[in-house]
Amino acid sequence: MHFTQKLELFPEQHVTQMLFKDVNNAAELRQDAVEGNIHAALINPTMLLSPFQALLAANKAIHSQSIGKMKTRSLNSEIIFNLSPTNNISEAFKRFGISHQDRSLLVVVVHSRDDSEVLSHIAIRVDGQEVPVEEFSSFSDPAKIRKLYKVSPQEESGGLLDAVVCRMATKDVM
Amino acid sequence: MGAPLVTVAIVARTVAQLWGKPLLGVNHCIGHIEMGRLITKANNPTVLYVSGGNTQVIAYSQRRYRIFGETIDIAVGNCLDRFARVIKISNDPSPGYNIEQLAKRGKRYVELPYTVKGMDVSFSGILSYIEEAANKMLSADQCTPEDLCFSLQETVFAMLVEITERAMAHCGSQEVLIVGGVGCNLRLQEMMGVMCQERGAKLFATNERFCIDNGAMIAQAGWEMFRSGQVTQLEDSWITQRYRTDEVEVTWRD
Amino acid sequence: MATLQLLRGAEMLKQGAEGRVYRAEFLGKPAVIKQRFPKRYRHPELDEKLTHRRTMQEVRSIARCRRAGISTPVVYFVDYSCSCIFLEEIVDSQTVRDFIASARRSSSRSDQELQRLAELTGRILAKMHDEDVIHGDLTTSNMLLRRSADSSELELVLIDFGLSYISALAEDKGVDLYVLEKAFLSTHPNTEPLFQQLLGSYSASSKKSSAVIKKLEEVRLRGRKRSMVG
Repeated sequence: MHFTQKLELFPEQHVTQMLFKDVNNAAELRQDAVEGNIHAALINPTMLLSPFQALLAANKAIHSQSIGKMKTRSLNSEIIFNLSPTNNISEAFKRFGISHQDRSLLVVVVHSRDDSEVLSHIAIRVDGQEVPVEEFSSFSDPAKIRKLYKVSPQEESGGLLDAVVCRMATKDVM
Repeated sequence: MGAPLVTVAIVARTVAQLWGKPLLGVNHCIGHIEMGRLITKANNPTVLYVSGGNTQVIAYSQRRYRIFGETIDIAVGNCLDRFARVIKISNDPSPGYNIEQLAKRGKRYVELPYTVKGMDVSFSGILSYIEEAANKMLSADQCTPEDLCFSLQETVFAMLVEITERAMAHCGSQEVLIVGGVGCNLRLQEMMGVMCQERGAKLFATNERFCIDNGAMIAQAGWEMFRSGQVTQLEDSWITQRYRTDEVEVTWRD
Repeated sequence: MATLQLLRGAEMLKQGAEGRVYRAEFLGKPAVIKQRFPKRYRHPELDEKLTHRRTMQEVRSIARCRRAGISTPVVYFVDYSCSCIFLEEIVDSQTVRDFIASARRSSSRSDQELQRLAELTGRILAKMHDEDVIHGDLTTSNMLLRRSADSSELELVLIDFGLSYISALAEDKGVDLYVLEKAFLSTHPNTEPLFQQLLGSYSASSKKSSAVIKKLEEVRLRGRKRSMVG
């Protein structure tokens, strides 16, 4: 159900994504995240189009961490920050982080290869139903995404995901 | 520059007619190139021609010395000379030589504008920047004249090496020849040498006698032209200050 | 470090004066990695600043082009610590160079196809210049053609923004076109009319084209006007 990708740049690290619907304890999970009690990035999946975005965000976060240049305080908050089209940290959390009334949730975990226990420990804390990551797009809200990333119609003709990915990758210099 | 050219042309025409000898109008840059090729025995080099009045990257192709890159405003030698005036460096023996000597004692690298656009370079930006800022920096003790000379050389020479490298990559060339007065500068030769080494290419540089303008180079080019059948008719022996290197048909090479 | 380690095992596609280009898989997708390596002949401080600036310029140019609806490879990730750009690898495409060459070899429909290409290219370049992006290295090898996803129409993809920068000056845009003209005519002899069509399409599509074309004409003649004394 979940989706794991090995990072070519950091071969010891893997990124696993788990998708949940009918989540009942978003508020509690959010509190856990704020307090640093859960070792995962808790993301609002309606703001994403594809697991690829989460991979890019995680890759960049690990890279920033490895050269001591993270903009936020932890790897998991850095992942959320990297999803955002702007450099405003609190806005990133507001838009992409889980909020207390969310009913769906994307959990992104960075872990080493054989650490499947970590995944089950995290999954068990979510009071909701896990669904296959293939169902990702059914959660996405393209209109909200388009608006937040300010994607024009001419740019979207090349694909909305491409537009969003490019913004994520280039926001440091724009 | 018009007057000396006219004078020489009159003398040349007179001598040619007096003694019944063929006359050959020679392109100045080609003079540099042919002397460079003769002295260094470079086979088919990418040529960097740098002097007070010219900055060009040239490569031979199909009977022309084609200009691949050049300055879009002033020549590098001109830039160095005017900088020397700004910080009052002596003209004796030449501003460029004195800048080179001072630069050897420079320690601090001062950031200066760097302008390469594709295959071309521009020096007016760095010149106007340094004209404005140099004396301020010196009086505020931010750097010494040696530091400025050093930084200017490092910057403008890097620009020249870069456009030479681009031309080489474009043509698949493995040889570089530097000609013209600024080519005497050992730091420029050194930097070009490092670039060549990294590409597995060979650098050819002439010594001072042949870098700077000399009559023998005109004779050498003239000799090449003559033996391949070129001659200038009297009525075609007017002078021009706008004689592009690529206007000449290089009949002596194939 | 991580990126340099990855490059050691990657396939090198080419080495130009600017840097090296590799191919590798990145997060499960085929990617191209462009690396600007240090130049030993430069003062280290100059080299670092210049390399960093150029990496940023390349990334900005691509982003700007995309915003205007121009097709370019997607930027996935930039490692500024070693000046490496990870980009989408464009597959199932053909360079404009090869397209023109093969169209000229076969004579059926080729005129029409080439005309459409000229019209399309002029239009895209106009859009790029209207965004004040100067490509800096326009050649027919730096433009790709592929069928777009939704229709069977030809799509022009601009690649290799390694020498690009942002400028509003008509002179810079004129030089950009001049670089293409020189490359175009030397690679594809006797295609002056085709290139004229390209320029015609450019003029019709750009709001600022007349100044640019004027500068192009000046640049063509400029060489002959510049004094060669000294």
